[in-house]
Amino acid sequence: MTAFILYKSIICLAIFILSLTVAAYASWWERKLSGFLQDRYGPNRAGKWGLLQPLADGGKMLFKEEIIPNLSNKFLFVIAPGIFIITTIVAGVLIPWAPPVKIGDTYYAMQATDIDIGVVFLLGVTSVGVYGIMIGGWASNNKYSLLGAIRASAQMISYELAMGISLIALIISAGGTLSFSEILQVQDAGYANVVWQPLGFVIFFVCSLAETNRAPFDLAECETELVGGYHTEYSAFKLGLFLFAEYMAMFVSSAVMAGFYFGGYNFPFAAELYQAMGLEEGSWIITLIGFTVYFAKTLLFISVFMWIRWTLPRFRYDQLMNLGWKALLPLSLLNLAITVVVEFIRGNIQF
Amino acid sequence: MNGLIIICGLGLLAMISEIFKFRSVLFPLVLTGLLAALALNVWEWNNPMHISYFENMIGFDRSALAFSTVILAIALLWFVLAQDYFKSGQHLVDHYALVLFALAGALMLTGCKNMTTLFLGIETLSIPMYVLAASKKNDLKSNEAGFKYLIMGSFASGFLLFGIALVYGATASFDFEEIKAYIAVFQGELPGFFYVGVIFILIAMAFKIAVAPFHFWAPDVYEGSPVLITGLMSTVVKTAAFAAFMRLFMMCFSNVSELWVTLLAVIVALSLAVSNFTAVMQTNTKRMLAYSSISHAAFMLMIIMSDKGETASVNSLIYYSLAYSLASLSAFAVIYLVSKNGSEDITELNGLHKRNRLLTITLTIALLSLAGIPVTAGFFAKYFVLSQIPSDTLLWLTILAIISSTIAAFYYLKIVGSMFFADSYTKEPIVVQKSHAFVLIVCVVLLLLFGMVPGLITELALY
Amino acid sequence: MLGYTITQWLFGILSFLAVMFALLVVFSKNPVHSVLYLVLTFFCIAGHYLLMNAQFLAIVHIAVYAGAIMVLFLFVIMLLNLNEQHEPRRTSVSRIIGVIVAGLFLMVLVGVLKGTEQLQLTNTANAEAGLIKNLGQVLFNEFLFPFEIVSILLLAALVGAIMLGKKEVKENVNENRI
Repeated sequence: MTAFILYKSIICLAIFILSLTVAAYASWWERKLSGFLQDRYGPNRAGKWGLLQPLADGGKMLFKEEIIPNLSNKFLFVIAPGIFIITTIVAGVLIPWAPPVKIGDTYYAMQATDIDIGVVFLLGVTSVGVYGIMIGGWASNNKYSLLGAIRASAQMISYELAMGISLIALIISAGGTLSFSEILQVQDAGYANVVWQPLGFVIFFVCSLAETNRAPFDLAECETELVGGYHTEYSAFKLGLFLFAEYMAMFVSSAVMAGFYFGGYNFPFAAELYQAMGLEEGSWIITLIGFTVYFAKTLLFISVFMWIRWTLPRFRYDQLMNLGWKALLPLSLLNLAITVVVEFIRGNIQF
Repeated sequence: MNGLIIICGLGLLAMISEIFKFRSVLFPLVLTGLLAALALNVWEWNNPMHISYFENMIGFDRSALAFSTVILAIALLWFVLAQDYFKSGQHLVDHYALVLFALAGALMLTGCKNMTTLFLGIETLSIPMYVLAASKKNDLKSNEAGFKYLIMGSFASGFLLFGIALVYGATASFDFEEIKAYIAVFQGELPGFFYVGVIFILIAMAFKIAVAPFHFWAPDVYEGSPVLITGLMSTVVKTAAFAAFMRLFMMCFSNVSELWVTLLAVIVALSLAVSNFTAVMQTNTKRMLAYSSISHAAFMLMIIMSDKGETASVNSLIYYSLAYSLASLSAFAVIYLVSKNGSEDITELNGLHKRNRLLTITLTIALLSLAGIPVTAGFFAKYFVLSQIPSDTLLWLTILAIISSTIAAFYYLKIVGSMFFADSYTKEPIVVQKSHAFVLIVCVVLLLLFGMVPGLITELALY
Repeated sequence: MLGYTITQWLFGILSFLAVMFALLVVFSKNPVHSVLYLVLTFFCIAGHYLLMNAQFLAIVHIAVYAGAIMVLFLFVIMLLNLNEQHEPRRTSVSRIIGVIVAGLFLMVLVGVLKGTEQLQLTNTANAEAGLIKNLGQVLFNEFLFPFEIVSILLLAALVGAIMLGKKEVKENVNENRI
């Protein structure tokens, strides 16, 4: 029992630190990448290549004055960023970062928890994430904040549908399991899911952009119309938490995409490579390689997110809703129908 | 079962017709479908192959088939009547689909053999009706009706669900037959919450069929909804709800009848008193018919109360629903045709005799049937009810029923009198389309036919 | 701990919280607070599902009720800008009647459920019944018909909502002409 608790604590702590670090450095990478895309340097003063910039930003956030609007609902105002960041962290617990490592006779999964309804859990947690934004926007007692919050939540609800349906198609082609680690194991044995779910991946990708409120779906923070969106009234560390949580959400959804559609820690000819290296199953080197591969894939997706942000202009609100309800939802239903037919031909489902 | 499948398919077909642009042929398609469903019902009656389907979730024995035939026949007449109503609005296809889905729910209710199908049937029937009640979007009263219906209906659904949960907790089953068997074995040892569950279900069903003291929504909803939708509510919805009520209480909870018979007696007495005294004072025809429908619901409840053995009671319940539905449908049809260019006030019917002969005769027969005057079907309907009430224990109820029928006859006959003898403010004749005339004539002929030969229904061999 | 197992402790705490939040839903003056308390109540109920080993139900309960339906509630309340001032004043008569009715209802329920702890379990459910595989088996075998018919129900609700929500295009044009 103690060993179990120790092992789980280590994993949880590792994932927590990983998420925080990546979220912090994602902001650095975003500024660097946008600098590259716009032919300028980006942050380059704090440390080598500006590497200490996130720390400086964090420190600044910490030491700024906290302003709580007088007419706001104080309790909800304070608690909202907390809700938002908790939901995004919780969404990350399911991700199996590496193949299990064998110590003694037992295998230790590199995952905080492997519940057998992982996919549904993910959907549930992301749907609750709306509350942080909504409560924050409402409690600020500011029209801009409220409009931003309403836009954000309407967008998240609308895109959740298409996302859910594309996930159903994914589950069908991944052999009918809802567990995250089993979805990865299926891809270990065969092709990555994106081979069977190209359309599903595109839908999921677009929906992830919308769910994380990233450009071109960042209407909630549309500066030209809404000042700062739902966090207009927030300052100092609470604002920092909101921004931090957004980067973390991007990290988690990149990891989920890399896992669901691109095999996670698996890569082509992995088994052959390990055999050539003479590694046995459960070796920690395999775990390390697997983790590196998964992490690289995740970082790639984060970069794609950023690339899109600095390339595409923002949608108009009605365009956003039309895309969600009139394009993505029917497409995801079509994808589901196609998936059923394909899987029937493949012989994975019988009637 | 085939009927249910066809109706569901028709609903989907109606929605597809919007995409593939064959809206113009939708009406004949729906009529054909309904006729096919009716024919299949008759065929199933003669060839009872499967009584129950899907793990005993739904079952069409002969009583269910009889009820669904009544519903389908009334719906067929209603569709012919409502043809130009559909065309008037913008949402032709939506209306078709909603009515057909409601019809599917009604058919499900006639065949329910499980609490889940009962609940789903009630919801499938109710939700389209909420929307249809509010379908005149620019009319404040229609909005109010839809809203009130929705709130009250959801409230009743909550009661129903809670009741089902309690009954499930006591008996560990949703299946009617299993619950019945369980009650038979463990009678006397059932926990208290089982009885509360039964009472909650009873309350919910009383909400749905609108009997006092759960009737408050009915007059407002009937008045506010478009006339034809009110017609649908008082015929199809009521028949289906009674079919479910009968299956639930006469079959499932029959072993604890001492619990609910007393409650029903109170409900019936209240309904009879409240509805008939209030109906006298109404000036809006739809409102008056709403109160009349409450009193008729009370009469139908009396059949369920009487312990004359299932077959006789079921037969007379079918007869009553048929008689009431036909009379009600033709009354609402006349009000629809009269109020097309006028109001729904009772004075609008003054001197109808001089404006259109057919409408007058139809409404007269319909009202006579509602009042229970001989030669019309309504007479035998009420006669069967009163003859089945056990006279030793519930004599007071019989007397109350007779007194209230007399009061009811007063306000029905008042309208009949004003149609013939009062002066109308306009002499402008009302033109009746051929299809409408057809429906009215069919209704009148059937009312008279069943009134003269009640054995057509009462001697049906249900088992 | 005090003679109770962890499950019993959890059950007690969750029940207490659920009831407390439910009461706060009714008693809080601000509609937004009511909605948020209701969300918390749903979370407590989801906890109860978890205690009964029904993980799927618990998560779906959160995703559907807390994550979708209550968000829409919050949406409408926020858009209408309802707050304490808009609360309609109830007369003392209606309050007294409400209290009496609710009290009677409570009495009935308490009276009925009292003594049920001595009842014998006649039918115990499979402890794994709430897991998704078993749920799927039950849903697609025993409850196949209700499952399919729910699609009709949802379709009808969808059509109805769209019909009521759609703008009447032609009639507005006519009104403008007149």
